Amino acid sequence: MHRIVVDAMGGDHAPDEIVRGAAEASLALTGAEIILVGDASVLGRLLPRLRHDGARVRVHHAPTFVEMDEKPAEALAAKPEASIAVAADLVARGEGDALVSAGNTGASVLACSRRWPLLEGVRRAALASVYPTELRRGEKEDPFSLILDVGATIDATAEDLVGFAVMGSAYARLISQNRRPRVALLSNGSEAGKGPASVVAAHAALVETTELNFIGNIEGLDIPRGVADVVVTSGFVGNVVLKMLEGVSETVVRLARYAHKERLAWRLGLIALSSAIDQLKSITDWQQYGGAPLLGFTHPFIKAHGRSNARAIGNAVKVAHKALAGNLCGNIARTMAELDERAQRRASGD
Amino acid sequence: MLRRLSRIPVRLGERIGLVEPDVEPLPPGAKPPRHTFRWDLDKTYLRTEFDSLKDLAMSAFETAADKQAFPGATALLRSLRQDGNRICIVSGSPTQMRQVLAAKLALDGVEYDEFVLKNNLKNILRGRFRALRAQIPYKLPAMLRSRIAAAAEAETLFGDDAEADAIIYCLYADLIAGRVSIADLERVLIASRAYDDDAAWCLELARTVPKAPAVRRMFIHLDRRSPPMGFRRFGPRLVPVFNYFQTALVLYQDKVLSARQVIFVALEMLDSGQYELGTLATSVQDVIRRGRITRETALQLAAEAHEAAKSGALSGRSDLPPFERISEAFRERVRELGAAPATDSHQEEPLDYVRLVDEEHEHRRTRRKQGVD
Repeated sequence: MHRIVVDAMGGDHAPDEIVRGAAEASLALTGAEIILVGDASVLGRLLPRLRHDGARVRVHHAPTFVEMDEKPAEALAAKPEASIAVAADLVARGEGDALVSAGNTGASVLACSRRWPLLEGVRRAALASVYPTELRRGEKEDPFSLILDVGATIDATAEDLVGFAVMGSAYARLISQNRRPRVALLSNGSEAGKGPASVVAAHAALVETTELNFIGNIEGLDIPRGVADVVVTSGFVGNVVLKMLEGVSETVVRLARYAHKERLAWRLGLIALSSAIDQLKSITDWQQYGGAPLLGFTHPFIKAHGRSNARAIGNAVKVAHKALAGNLCGNIARTMAELDERAQRRASGD
Repeated sequence: MLRRLSRIPVRLGERIGLVEPDVEPLPPGAKPPRHTFRWDLDKTYLRTEFDSLKDLAMSAFETAADKQAFPGATALLRSLRQDGNRICIVSGSPTQMRQVLAAKLALDGVEYDEFVLKNNLKNILRGRFRALRAQIPYKLPAMLRSRIAAAAEAETLFGDDAEADAIIYCLYADLIAGRVSIADLERVLIASRAYDDDAAWCLELARTVPKAPAVRRMFIHLDRRSPPMGFRRFGPRLVPVFNYFQTALVLYQDKVLSARQVIFVALEMLDSGQYELGTLATSVQDVIRRGRITRETALQLAAEAHEAAKSGALSGRSDLPPFERISEAFRERVRELGAAPATDSHQEEPLDYVRLVDEEHEHRRTRRKQGVD
């Protein structure tokens, strides 16, 4: 049975929506046990109000939690028994198999990186994010592509970028059921020689791989088009890209609201388009995806959006379960080992 | 010869489910049972799906071997039967299913003293269609009649959350304890839309039934995974349970079961393949967290179970880890709670049964509209 540890106190709507999502997941997943980490007296009051499987949800007490706006390192130092730290500890000690949190992202990444070893062959972990695109992919007709790294680290060497490509591809294969996810490097041009030295070197290395479906470089405007299923970049660039994409989405929504208020003709136009807009919203609703992973460690960690409601949390738990059931970490480690072996053979002149 | 011939219509009637066997009273001079355990069957003992017409039809054609008991329920029933206790089964299944259900109980090695089924054929022939779904006007008189035949000092009732078992059992408990008057019962029967003669029969039984606060405990098996909080209004005597290990734990605390008997329930659940040691340990935590057993009870059980294990309760179980590891896993689940108090806030106010019945009817109407019932 897979044990999924959930940081019940992290997130804007914690603990109520987190517990609700976990309770719903306990009914949907027969091969999983969910461990809610947080204030046991609070969680103990919430659970009996919900439909859940009492044999598959348990509570592990943690007296404090990291607030969303706290500085990660300082908060973890001041609150060693914060729910995210206790949760990461449980997984580190082998009392849990995967972690889900909607809490402070920096604190989550720091808590995991301090306690969990990296997979063999992985130099750096990468935080991924999903972004809705024009194209669908995989057996599940997934409208999201995966971008990584979006902030686990700042810089990335060529080897790091290759590692990110392997991890992102393994994740997309498993979660989107996409047999050959298209992997691309984010650059300032599609030519192989474009971009900083690390990107050029990573391009050269990825072109040699057969394990990955590497399609070359893409530019920023290719991301929403869905040209690639997995977009690889450094943490600094990825974070900027992600924030910009989120800002564009918010601006579009604000403009639509402005248009709705400003002129009758525009309002009528929006009303005429409303069913299409609703359809688009449901297709690109991040809540149905639950969260995105922190890849590279020996255990899966799914980082849910800070505003996650019960549905998003339930889906994040299901993604974690899928990652465990599909042996995501094992697949990443195996591919890294194959790449490493090939690199060694090449180096020895075979 | 004439006597045998005169029995043919009765035997034929029983065979097709038109005539129900009488509840036999205790022979004169017989000692009354110490404890009566009353069990519902579908969704309480048996894993029965009849939420759709297809499921209902399939259920009707299942053989005894096809029917599945909930893990742990058989071991529990067998344990409860010991020491001369009485097992009475009252089920809403139709009388035509007696043969297959009795065969299933026999296959499971479950002995019982009474087995009452619902005579829906008679209801159909009499044009009493609302009686087909009605539970209170059927189960309550059946339980009262059973108690009149053999009144035990203590009773424990087992039901599920699919229909109105919680209401019926609490009503029965309060009725025989003298907390619900005949006039109140009459109002409840009207709210339950009982036919006049059925209501009159029920009231007559209520007047005759031996009175005592005999019902010690009621267990509601959460087959539909209803939120446990919804049962708080029925008071601490009613315990919603996710599985029969939790039932066994509470009965151990009530000193009805021994540690060895609790182990046997747990072993049956493990052998079913549907439970692991981890889920049993989590079940312990859940029932402590809800304030249904104390941590001290859990620790005492661990100590007694250890003794039982040493004396052979786990012999031949090379598939299990050493008992010390099992015990530590269970203790760890308790420690995980920290010092958090149990959420034990049960209401003790008298129940308004008419309102409960009305709410239950409304709830069922909603479920039917949603296509769930």
